[in-house]
Amino acid sequence: MATTLFRKVWDQHLVVKSDRANLLYIDRHLIHEVTSPQAFDGLRLAGRKVRRPDLTVATIDHNVPTDNQLVISDPLSRKQIETLRSNCREFGVPLHDIASGRQGIVHVIGPELGLTLPGTTIVCGDSHTSTHGAFGALAFGIGTSEVEHVLATQTLWQGARPDTLGIEVTGRLAPGLEPKDIILAVIRAIGVGGATGHVIEYFGPAISALSMEGRLTICNMSIEAGARAGMIAPDDVTIDYLASGERPFAPKGRDFDAAAADWRSLRTDDPSTYDKHVSIDASVLAPQVTWGTNPAMTVDVTGVVPEPEATPFATASDARRALEYMGLRPGTPIEQIAVDVVFIGSCTNGRIEDLRSAARVFRGRHTASGVRALVVPGSEAVRKQAEAEGLDRIFVEAGAEWRQSGCSMCLAMNPDRLTPGQRSASTSNRNFEGRQGPAGRTHLVSPAMAAAAAVTGHFTDVRKLLSASA
Amino acid sequence: MEPFRTHRGQLALLDWSDVNTDLIIPARYLKRIERTGFGPLLFADKRYAPGAAPEPDAPEKAGPLAADFPLNSPTFRDATLLVVGRNFGCGSSREHAVWAVQQAGFRAVIAPGPGEGFADIFESNAYNNGLLPIELPDADWQTIAQATRENPGRAFATIDLETLTITVETQGESTPRAKIAFAIPEAQRTRLLKGLDAIAETLAHETEIARHEQTRPAWMTPTAPH
Repeated sequence: MATTLFRKVWDQHLVVKSDRANLLYIDRHLIHEVTSPQAFDGLRLAGRKVRRPDLTVATIDHNVPTDNQLVISDPLSRKQIETLRSNCREFGVPLHDIASGRQGIVHVIGPELGLTLPGTTIVCGDSHTSTHGAFGALAFGIGTSEVEHVLATQTLWQGARPDTLGIEVTGRLAPGLEPKDIILAVIRAIGVGGATGHVIEYFGPAISALSMEGRLTICNMSIEAGARAGMIAPDDVTIDYLASGERPFAPKGRDFDAAAADWRSLRTDDPSTYDKHVSIDASVLAPQVTWGTNPAMTVDVTGVVPEPEATPFATASDARRALEYMGLRPGTPIEQIAVDVVFIGSCTNGRIEDLRSAARVFRGRHTASGVRALVVPGSEAVRKQAEAEGLDRIFVEAGAEWRQSGCSMCLAMNPDRLTPGQRSASTSNRNFEGRQGPAGRTHLVSPAMAAAAAVTGHFTDVRKLLSASA
Repeated sequence: MEPFRTHRGQLALLDWSDVNTDLIIPARYLKRIERTGFGPLLFADKRYAPGAAPEPDAPEKAGPLAADFPLNSPTFRDATLLVVGRNFGCGSSREHAVWAVQQAGFRAVIAPGPGEGFADIFESNAYNNGLLPIELPDADWQTIAQATRENPGRAFATIDLETLTITVETQGESTPRAKIAFAIPEAQRTRLLKGLDAIAETLAHETEIARHEQTRPAWMTPTAPH
């Protein structure tokens, strides 16, 4: 019977199956300091243990200062980090701690360390767990009660099997366009609730042409369309990624060959079996910039801030509140909007290719007067790789700050944040009110577009800069 | 978990769509390692005047309220039923959002659009804490929202999880304004009615879990010690 990638992974993990509820086995449980303390407390209260510490792995990312990871001056952040360390010791959970060489944003280190594998189920108390679906894993974010449940049982109750949404991306990205533009265009097309209750499968020539880094960016933002998960079928690109480099936890030798044979069967037999289908053409995309307070409020960089009555998926009153918060007037050309801060990093765009593409724009240029630019690698390994390639020198010579790994300015939980009223061009995933700091104003863009805004002081179609330097 | 059978309470309305969990509880409050104390932090950046939101370690010490936030209306002071717009709880998976709604005194949240009223993770988190998330067809949701708009502070509803009905009434009127049927997944209804501990329920399936562990491919377990 023809079936989908999602259905194959789902079916292979059902421990208990009924019409009403399904108990799913979890292959990887990723932990970080923010959403786990209450779960470990729950275990302690009930006298329970972690069932499979060997399938559980922790790191520290949200609270980490990125100027100096070792100096955590906020007492609450320090306490939260210390709590994770002591919980990991008490329950035998492996921890990739600060300065271990393996620390980083949980969704950056999973793939890097070979923990993220095709055909597995992966959960984490973090909505951007959808990232790992780029490998053909079924990966999704959970709440703290569910973290406790997975720690105790290595399983998770799910309701009825989610429907599937097939998103076909045809054509090929033009120079200056990036995977971030694809996913912003997808969310713009289907809305922030467009995939609620669905697992997205991305496919088509524009997806196949992407590296693993690009696919991770796409799957990462599946949650911004409300999806339960986003998945891409494993192919040679996936298998080469897992076979190459340092992937300490990936299978080796004959185990790898056996696994790879399994992985090759993980594809959708017939795309017409998706419950819903959407198609977008990558070759006609312009660089995308969000103007409002959710990721569907997006326009082309060549466009203008829309009229509140003409915003898809938002009522006019919702759109007016967004415009007021953002301090923008309808009809303003996007390229005339000036920025104060540029943030390049996060689990969306903090990988080596993201830094390379920002560096291509920064090279030989300088940040505009009054603009603060932060470049934050997603992990200690990404930082090391970037330095080996000399990217750090390009950033520093351009007047940007080259920082240490962590979630940084994606969310205001560590010292990196906007001050009230500041406007940012950010490669992160959420332009929600207050996300980067109370009363901060966030515009989401690709790494190349963020770098273009840094060197010009306002949003700029990066294609102009690239053709100028070519 | 405290069982949920029936509940009668005052209705409050926040008629905004796509309310995300950063808005429900800003990230800086997630530094708390406790499961309690989140009630005063609900909608902190909207609820309090600029600069008046509490510090994460002192949630009770807040400054003045914002003038224009709908839920600050004194008429909603005793509300226990929150009526919200579509796609409520989107964004971050933080269960703190559910804790904040619940600890601010709400027992149920009512959103429009079956399958679209709540973001998936928020909905799961709500069930896991005994906060009842109800999605209604648009027309039924409008009936409740309109009743709240017309009689703020005097609109009440009784939610009966045994019969799956919501009875809407206006204080001081003898006949109910509307009686509305709703649906939730049967497995969740059973759990809520009995106040079951999901982990204890799962551990009863030990045999099936152990059998799955014996048959899953070896490559699915990490190969190197951490």
